[in-house]
Amino acid sequence: MEVNKDPRFLETQIPSKLVGFFKLDKLLNLARSNSQWPLTFGLACCGIEFMAAGAARFDFDRFGFGVARPSPRQADLMIVAGTISRKMLPCIKTLYDQMPSPKYVIAFGGCAIAGGPFKFPGQYGILEGIDKILPVNVYVPGCPPRPEALIAGILELRRLIQEGKTQGTMSPAVIEDSQDARPAEYKNAMSRAEFRKPPTPAAPIPPAQE
Amino acid sequence: MPAVADPSLKQWLLETVQPDEFVEKDLKISGIHFEALVGADKIAGIAREFLKRGYYLESLTAVDFLECFEVVYHFDRQDSNARCCVKILTAKDSGHAPTLSGIYRSALWFEREAHEMFGIVFDGHPNLKNLLLPESSLIHPLLKSFKGEAKGSDVVQSLQLIDEDKRDFELAYPKSISQQGKDYYLNLGPQHPSTHGVLRILLHLNGERVLDGEPILGYSHRHHEKMMEIQNYLACWPNFGRLDYVGAMSYNFGYARLIERAMGVTPPPRVEYIRVIATELNRISSHLLWLGTFLMDLGAMTPFFYCFDEREKILDILEMATGERLTYDYFRFGGLDHDFTPDMAPAIKRFIPEFKMHLREYHQLITKNVIFMKRVHGMGVLSRENALAYGVTGPCLRASGVALDERRRDPYSIYPQLDFDIPVRADGDVFARYQVRMQEMEESLKIITQALEKMPEGPITLGKLPKNVPKGEYYSAVESPRGSFGIYLVSDGSLNPYRIKLRTPSFSNLNSLIDMIPGCFVSDVVAVLGSIDIVLPEIDR
Amino acid sequence: MTAIFFEAIKIFLYCIAVILFISVNTLFLVWMERKLAGRIQMRPGPLYVGPMGLLQTVADAIKLLSKELVYPSEANKFLYLSAPVLVFAPILSAFLILPLGEGRIIRDLNIGFLLVFALANITFIGIFVAGWSSNNKYALLGSMRAVAQNISYEIPLMLSTMGVVLAAGTLSTTQIVSAQDKGWFLFTLPMGTGLLGFMIFFCSSLAEANRAPFDIPEAESELVAGFHTEYSGIRFALFFLGEYTAIFVSSAIASTLFLGGWHGPWIPGPFWLILKTYAIVMVVMWIRWTFPRLRSDQLMNFAWKVLIPFGILNLLLTAIFIYFEDLLR
Repeated sequence: MEVNKDPRFLETQIPSKLVGFFKLDKLLNLARSNSQWPLTFGLACCGIEFMAAGAARFDFDRFGFGVARPSPRQADLMIVAGTISRKMLPCIKTLYDQMPSPKYVIAFGGCAIAGGPFKFPGQYGILEGIDKILPVNVYVPGCPPRPEALIAGILELRRLIQEGKTQGTMSPAVIEDSQDARPAEYKNAMSRAEFRKPPTPAAPIPPAQE
Repeated sequence: MPAVADPSLKQWLLETVQPDEFVEKDLKISGIHFEALVGADKIAGIAREFLKRGYYLESLTAVDFLECFEVVYHFDRQDSNARCCVKILTAKDSGHAPTLSGIYRSALWFEREAHEMFGIVFDGHPNLKNLLLPESSLIHPLLKSFKGEAKGSDVVQSLQLIDEDKRDFELAYPKSISQQGKDYYLNLGPQHPSTHGVLRILLHLNGERVLDGEPILGYSHRHHEKMMEIQNYLACWPNFGRLDYVGAMSYNFGYARLIERAMGVTPPPRVEYIRVIATELNRISSHLLWLGTFLMDLGAMTPFFYCFDEREKILDILEMATGERLTYDYFRFGGLDHDFTPDMAPAIKRFIPEFKMHLREYHQLITKNVIFMKRVHGMGVLSRENALAYGVTGPCLRASGVALDERRRDPYSIYPQLDFDIPVRADGDVFARYQVRMQEMEESLKIITQALEKMPEGPITLGKLPKNVPKGEYYSAVESPRGSFGIYLVSDGSLNPYRIKLRTPSFSNLNSLIDMIPGCFVSDVVAVLGSIDIVLPEIDR
Repeated sequence: MTAIFFEAIKIFLYCIAVILFISVNTLFLVWMERKLAGRIQMRPGPLYVGPMGLLQTVADAIKLLSKELVYPSEANKFLYLSAPVLVFAPILSAFLILPLGEGRIIRDLNIGFLLVFALANITFIGIFVAGWSSNNKYALLGSMRAVAQNISYEIPLMLSTMGVVLAAGTLSTTQIVSAQDKGWFLFTLPMGTGLLGFMIFFCSSLAEANRAPFDIPEAESELVAGFHTEYSGIRFALFFLGEYTAIFVSSAIASTLFLGGWHGPWIPGPFWLILKTYAIVMVVMWIRWTFPRLRSDQLMNFAWKVLIPFGILNLLLTAIFIYFEDLLR
């Protein structure tokens, strides 16, 4: 399924401009890059590292990112921090649609990039990466990434905005990666009568064998 | 607290109820005194009798066998370790079981979860809809016949859910505010400015007063239990670090305790001491995070920064041994991953007096503040009966007058040899929970000081252990910063668990919110929610 | 004819000056708030955008100017668009009567600051309109709270200034400042009524500006963003501007009425006024980052059961003491 051509996603992609005011654009980009207001949006463990990055030791307010607005109308950066469960997705899409342009997305942590440790063959609960639905500008890997990594991601976003390269990337709906070779031993149900029988003495598998 | 099996209860069961199966169990290995299999029609009567004798429902879950489902109930007392297990069998297709939600309110959510995961219908349940999965979802994931969904289904289902959501919203809500009456519904979440994670509370309001509120879960469901069934025991360690990422050491402790008891091994003494020190340090950092976010909910933004800074010092210390800041993966079966480095003990010894001084400052800044007192006194009262009916554990229960702490009820590791108090308050309001947690931080400091003094040298691992757990059923509980974290394991002797049920404390603690908020203002709902101290991923698993 | 023409030019220039001053002032105040918050919270605050982060607010302002303007589809368009203007514009009237020095004032009105308080009341209509027209339940809740709060705290605001009016005998701000040449009203009003009046005025003005601990209408942790939830870009910037201007204006009026205005040795008058005003503004910001917030009903209790009785008491005591002072003289 070609995600990028789906009509529901065309509306999330910021169209390129017909008219450009070069010096003014540079000024606007400079201002925008130094004044990103993140949406308070922690989903799981990475949300705590996001909070820690805003706390006193790491402090992303130094770069102008500090004013974390709770309302999506006033925020321009969505830092998707944590695992995206399928039930949560309509909320994420609604929030993203409510943010006025220009808006940016940082995928923070392994789960937001590609499903993280919760991607196993046959998983039924999560979305394997937010870039299947929203265009992502910066990916910050880690489980969870250190707050310094978030700051590095923020600075990378700053550089991208100043250079004008703000078209986010999206990934196709189905990707084969190393997590798909992960062992997923689905077994059949055991008989209860069999289970209730006392164990035979030869039960423990010694460590030398596999 | 002695582990007392109630002999009169056993007698009553054997004589009056006459169970189909009755097995006495070894408490040290399996965690329960006895288990009984009864007919499905008798379980309600048994539950009532247990309630009369002062037991509460600790856990309710189901196991999928070839011929039938086995619904497993664990009951326990608050003043002693009297855990016992009652089971009933239900048919596979359209299996029915009677509900216990009229007797124990904690069954309300346990049964909803068992229903959506297995398809068992609990007759008489007032609200049997999906708890963790999306409302329109029809799958029963924990069935052994459910071998997972196809690749690419995540995007397909997500798009479906987006469409459904749009449709439902347009049908359910009037377009303009002027068409709403004085009674209206307000969603608190799932995107919260107050950093609780993705919880949604549907409030029914009249003006600013709350008539009732319903927590809606599942926005952080990461299928831990299914994952653990398809991977081997060692591969389950990262799951435990991510269930409750703020207090991950105690979750490590729970898993290690479960498997070590099942295998019948005891870790070396140095390991026990290190485990306790790491867990108590983690408990302090978890309470600090709670304090910062709780005060931020009330409007005081500054203590958040102070608490996080303290917490960073603890994270630095723990990072020296584990290499991680948050989602710890430190314990192993019979030992640890790495030993404490030589500079950790002096770092901890430096940290303790500094932290004591800062705790005094926090008390001065916060506890005596008039505005804070007005916001928290008398709010969100949880009575003792309600607390037990909902299966609440941890500081919330101790603030309602019940001195229940797994470290005393079912002592493990070196806790019996350490001298510390369990803080208990009788009021049951937000302020009482605040006080209990503040005092718990001081008690943890005491524990760390004693353990550091007595810590011996020695090995930190037992060497190679078998890769599988002996066939059987095991239950084990530890005290996490949020309450009693229990794990129920059904092992068939193979390399993977057959069924793991994670009995997480925040699940039942949040359930009690339903009774705490009617009559409050909207501002109070936030304060009460903050005082319960929940971590969403451990509720949604 | 030419006199009217020159008068019109003068007024036009005054307006430009006021708007320029407000813009620069807000830029500076927002920077000061973020730096102060940072220092209280053990961190540096904005640091890299310009020297010491001084250009941070400039970057914020330019970014807000260039944001997409959206508005909710079911919102009442006229009300939605007029609300930010209603919140921001009336406070500008306060600059009419602020005395910067001996005889330096835009208009010396003999009803003075009463006019300002009357005009500034329109602000809360703007807040109400903002919440109602957004067609959003959070915004509505926020604006309802704001309306109740603002109406209640108007009364102690007025009452606390009546003592000053009695002592000076006039509502005109220039004459009130001239009457303080022997000492600030904070200290010279008899028997501590100056101190009591100042404290009541200070609390009420905190509540009027929706600042912590009275910031329940925009309580971030509860109501998403209160009454300005649905506003983005330049309209949101207008709300921000309005809030910081309100803080500045109420601090300026407090220093005019109670702290002696432009009186002070060695350096010229306007600097003293600015100094005193910013001192009060710093205390306002300090309070925001120290205390939790009050619940809405506790807020109302505080206004009606504490501030208003003490305000009336203050007025009575001032009247009695001034009468006896005149009698003894």
